[in-house]
Amino acid sequence: MFRYSSCSRAFALALIIVALSAAEAFAHCFVGARFLPATLATDDPCVADEMSIPTVAWSKTGDVPAATEWDISVDLAKRITEDFGITIGDTWSQIHQPGGFTNAGFGNLETTLQYQLFKDGPHELALLLGLIVDWGGTGAINSGLADRWSTLTPTFYFGKGFGDLPDSFGWVRAFAVTGQVGYQFPTRNFDVDSGSFIPQVLVYGASIQYSMPYLKSEIRDYQLPDFINHLIPIVEMQLATPVANNFGNSGLTTGTINPGVIWVGSYFQVGAEAVLPVNHASGTGVGFLGQLHLYLDDMFPTTIGRPLLGGSSAPPQQLKF
Amino acid sequence: MRTSIFFISLLLATFSNVAAHAHAFLDHASPLVGSTVASAPREVLLTFTQNLESAFSSVQVTDANGARVDQGKPQISGSTMRVGLKSLTHGTYRVRWQALSVDTHKTEGSFTFSVGP
Repeated sequence: MFRYSSCSRAFALALIIVALSAAEAFAHCFVGARFLPATLATDDPCVADEMSIPTVAWSKTGDVPAATEWDISVDLAKRITEDFGITIGDTWSQIHQPGGFTNAGFGNLETTLQYQLFKDGPHELALLLGLIVDWGGTGAINSGLADRWSTLTPTFYFGKGFGDLPDSFGWVRAFAVTGQVGYQFPTRNFDVDSGSFIPQVLVYGASIQYSMPYLKSEIRDYQLPDFINHLIPIVEMQLATPVANNFGNSGLTTGTINPGVIWVGSYFQVGAEAVLPVNHASGTGVGFLGQLHLYLDDMFPTTIGRPLLGGSSAPPQQLKF
Repeated sequence: MRTSIFFISLLLATFSNVAAHAHAFLDHASPLVGSTVASAPREVLLTFTQNLESAFSSVQVTDANGARVDQGKPQISGSTMRVGLKSLTHGTYRVRWQALSVDTHKTEGSFTFSVGP
């Protein structure tokens, strides 16, 4: 009890310090006057130099009785050129069964290639194409936390801010949506170990977010406390639906809806979300998702925070309205 | 454990205050973003979160018809940018700005303010 209280006090104190800090800028996915933060459960529609270290998730599985699962992920995104980037990530998981049995280990290594398809500043629209590869056999197969086979997931990402609505829409213009749709192909059709088919899966998700920074700088400055002006309340949704090669398996859609908030600073953001399963097959009760996300292009603008090819992240040029 | 959490958090808080390199965002403006002022302002003053490159940062102010109402060259010093205004009548005016922070990150934005009762 003392330990819990002590940690809580330290965390609360830290929160106060952060709240009182004078960090006033924002980063990271920019399109026109719109900043779209790195979302926790889905991905934002921009290539960038950034790092999530870590993303921590806690939940209870849909098993009966439910097992407790911890997931700790790290990923690093790096721009190769201004519009092309690669992300590398992995997740360590621990699943504790009610009877005392525990499985732990790393999942398969995941890489993502992304290309910035389109950005329209005046309409706050960003489009991105990606290919997610989950490399089979690179994780803890024997613990059941990784698959022997790889999966390929071509994915389309989008983001749209509503700042281009007429001024009469007022505070509504601070809303934005992001989303992604991917189709996951396994490199095998059949899992010999479990004697079941490996389905092809439609993987999709979205977020709706309200930007207090945008409200303050573009619509109306209510002179709210600085901490409030750094917040982006958000609701994310991530879903998966088996759509092919699913003989004998459940065709049920699984996923979660995650209400939460992201605090954005000059060089990093901190996000926290509740994780609500959409059905019993997706989990039990309310889980938690938290993330510390670093903006490498702001932290190291002249070294690792710039594209490997193509020079500066934003070469100077005469400005035109 | 408690000490670790505190110092990690303090490090993060301190880190957030390092005003070295980052995008330049509008911190506050005069007249205030979205405000209505009773008397016509003689200038628009923008204060950013980072120092600006004066050669590549700019601001303009237009009336409801899109006509320029700013006058003179914008003056940029450190993290502030100001531009003089012609004599404004009652109405709504739009301020458009573009900024290049000293580490070459570009940002842009716009907002309105009104002059009237």
